Amino acid sequence: MSVRYPIKDQVAFASAATTPFSKTSNERTQAGMAIDACVAAIRAAGLGAADIDGISGSGTSPEAKWMQSALGIPRITWWQNPSLTGTFATTIYEAMHAVYSGACSTVLCYHAAYRLPWQSRAAAADAMRRRVGELTGMMGAVDPETMGGSVGYTAWASRYLYEYGRRREDLGMVAINSRSNALRNEHAVINTPLTMDDYLQGRMIRNPLCVYDMDVAIDGADAFIVTTAERARDMALRPVLINAAASGMVANNDEDQLPGLHQHGQQIVVEEMKRRGDFWIDDVDLYYPYDGFSMLTLAWIENIGLCRPGEAGDFMREHWDWAQQRVLLRGRVPFNSHGGSLSEGATQGSGHIREAVMQLQGRAGSHQVDGASKALLTIGGFFFNAQALSLHTV
Amino acid sequence: MNTLTDEQLLERFPGTRIDHDNKAFYRGLLNRQLLIDRCGDCGHWFHPPRPICPKCWSRDIRPTAVSGRGHIHLLILLHQGPSAPGVRYDTPHPVATIELEEQSGLRFTSTIVGSDNAALKIGLPVELSWIDRGANPVPAFKLSGASQ
Ligand SMILES: [Zn+2]
Repeated sequence: MSVRYPIKDQVAFASAATTPFSKTSNERTQAGMAIDACVAAIRAAGLGAADIDGISGSGTSPEAKWMQSALGIPRITWWQNPSLTGTFATTIYEAMHAVYSGACSTVLCYHAAYRLPWQSRAAAADAMRRRVGELTGMMGAVDPETMGGSVGYTAWASRYLYEYGRRREDLGMVAINSRSNALRNEHAVINTPLTMDDYLQGRMIRNPLCVYDMDVAIDGADAFIVTTAERARDMALRPVLINAAASGMVANNDEDQLPGLHQHGQQIVVEEMKRRGDFWIDDVDLYYPYDGFSMLTLAWIENIGLCRPGEAGDFMREHWDWAQQRVLLRGRVPFNSHGGSLSEGATQGSGHIREAVMQLQGRAGSHQVDGASKALLTIGGFFFNAQALSLHTV
Repeated sequence: MNTLTDEQLLERFPGTRIDHDNKAFYRGLLNRQLLIDRCGDCGHWFHPPRPICPKCWSRDIRPTAVSGRGHIHLLILLHQGPSAPGVRYDTPHPVATIELEEQSGLRFTSTIVGSDNAALKIGLPVELSWIDRGANPVPAFKLSGASQ
């Protein structure tokens, strides 16, 4: 069936850059880290401030207007700070659509993750950060009896184990896979091995999810240059073309009213990606099944069609490299090659995208996958943020 | 029946986002009534409260008492969480989404009282059982047949 998707391969990443990540150091400001990543991304593409005419910053990062003045970008014609109700992928989609529509040509995209005082004891120890927290505020009173926000993934993980008669070891496979990939990536904030015994003894946070099932809050930033495929060819690095992108959401999308494990945003995303794009999981060198919660990786593995519902844990075991303690599909395709949100650090998806772009440009250093030319990214969860991208070089 | 003014209602739920679309739900709680929005035209139930029926777009929304019977659809145990009067996490605090008997897929999230956590399972039948938290009644559930 033909599908109207004119943007295919018309927009590209010209570069990606990141800063050091930390889960304990309080010294950097969110703005300072965003700036570092942005400057690095602009320079890596061989550009200067005057070459940027669009800005797309994530909704929790410094605003576009602030970034323009801070970097002295003389003239822009489009800007946006999309909400992180979606993942960071939304920030890229906005840039993509702006470039393709002609609203601008070359967009600086960024996301700075920043630990707020209520996220960790280390963060709470920082007086400056407490002030930032006061000014950011919480969303009113929260009762314990809610499935809203991140609690919702715990609830549906519990439902998953119940519906399919599975055990927590399946979730543990995801945690170990991310950790083993992180051990190969010097940029990751966690660098100690994780065994299944460690996982099963992990401190329970919200049963059935323990500390190893939830992403690790960090300070750090990622930035990207998104432009037309044509312009990207004249820039310093190999262009990474966006072959397809999709988002999906169903009613009811309230966490506790979701129709079920078989009917949420991920199924829509998969359907749309298959219609819009030219390649799929069997063709790629890299796969990024989002791991903000371990449950999401299992769900994506099943929803993209690698195995039947309830069998993702078994699938991971079948494709497990026991020496490396990680999945290698067809003996060579890693899942979350950087260590994911669980072990490289929580970036709401910017880390997965940055890693894919760096891999496809041959700039992944210690953990470069040789000859990587195609990547599939399935990012986000069930409720408000199921998204995907397929990227390739030509 | 509770006849609080809007101002008095807001004072009883500090920090809660109460507006004209959901105030009947909160007034109901103070009367120990679990009121769920029901469409006056097509009979469809929905939660949380909204200014329109998602099924037929009627504006005739009637907050209506439910039987309080249902079964556990989602279940987690919080080992840590927001502070609340009477909630301690040294024994993990159960949070459950109950599928209400009025309509398939109609769900309400609360806690379960009166049973050991080990007895709680997805699929078990429950019924409404009010508890008090600070000055306000809170709609909780208990396993059907359990005391309390
Ligand atoms: Zn109706």
